[in-house]
Amino acid sequence: MITVLLIVHGLLAVVLLGGITHQAMSVAWPSRNKAGIIRSFRAVNGSVYANANVALYLVTATLGGIIYPVYRVGVRTFLEDARLNSAVGLFELKEQFIAVGLGMLPLYWMLWHRPPKAGAGPARIAVTLILCAIVWYAFLVGHILNNIRGLFGL
Amino acid sequence: MSREKVFPIFAAAFAVIYVLAVEYNWALFTYHPRIGEWQWLAQPAKDGPPMYWYGWLVTSLLGASAASLISWPLTRRGSAQLWLGWMVPIVIVVIFVYLFRGFFLH
Repeated sequence: MITVLLIVHGLLAVVLLGGITHQAMSVAWPSRNKAGIIRSFRAVNGSVYANANVALYLVTATLGGIIYPVYRVGVRTFLEDARLNSAVGLFELKEQFIAVGLGMLPLYWMLWHRPPKAGAGPARIAVTLILCAIVWYAFLVGHILNNIRGLFGL
Repeated sequence: MSREKVFPIFAAAFAVIYVLAVEYNWALFTYHPRIGEWQWLAQPAKDGPPMYWYGWLVTSLLGASAASLISWPLTRRGSAQLWLGWMVPIVIVVIFVYLFRGFFLH
């Protein structure tokens, strides 16, 4: 059951990664021209991703919270025994960053559901980029830890 | 309109309260995963490692909600301080990297 939840957690993270990266690119590096894959990637309407990204962030974090005890009891103990302190630290930072992102979700949602007024544009860009960075960090750390035995030949 | 001005305050308060909760272990409850037991407030290890993360999140959620409610009347005047909602979380992220540097230095 935990393996299924872990896979679903990873798959939802992939979808969230795509949504938030699309949106971040569209707001930080917009393009009106859809010629070519890079410009098409940047030319999307970022506001259509907001609800989905909030829901995906919440569901992915909740699933992560459900499988977290397995990590805490089994995986972290293994990492500590193997003296992989950096790996433990990477995950510790992941959980703190995810929590900070959770606190930013209401503001993120509000900024994408109101017309960008004077002064709100930079906040929308900043909040979206921060959440995008958090999601990327969490995704990469999750993958590294999931594959750590193979990566380090343990 | 003034309700929208509270959103950046919530984000900033959540981040500040969360880092304080982690540093001083203000967990509203503790989970003992090996025995599947929940306890109120931060409790020491009990047959296996304790988990405080859930408790820290709820502490921060309640604290940030209270801070937002208290600041609501104060935000009616003046413009929304949107920068609080992203600048403070960035600072908190940097503080976390500093607090957890020991994992990477030893």
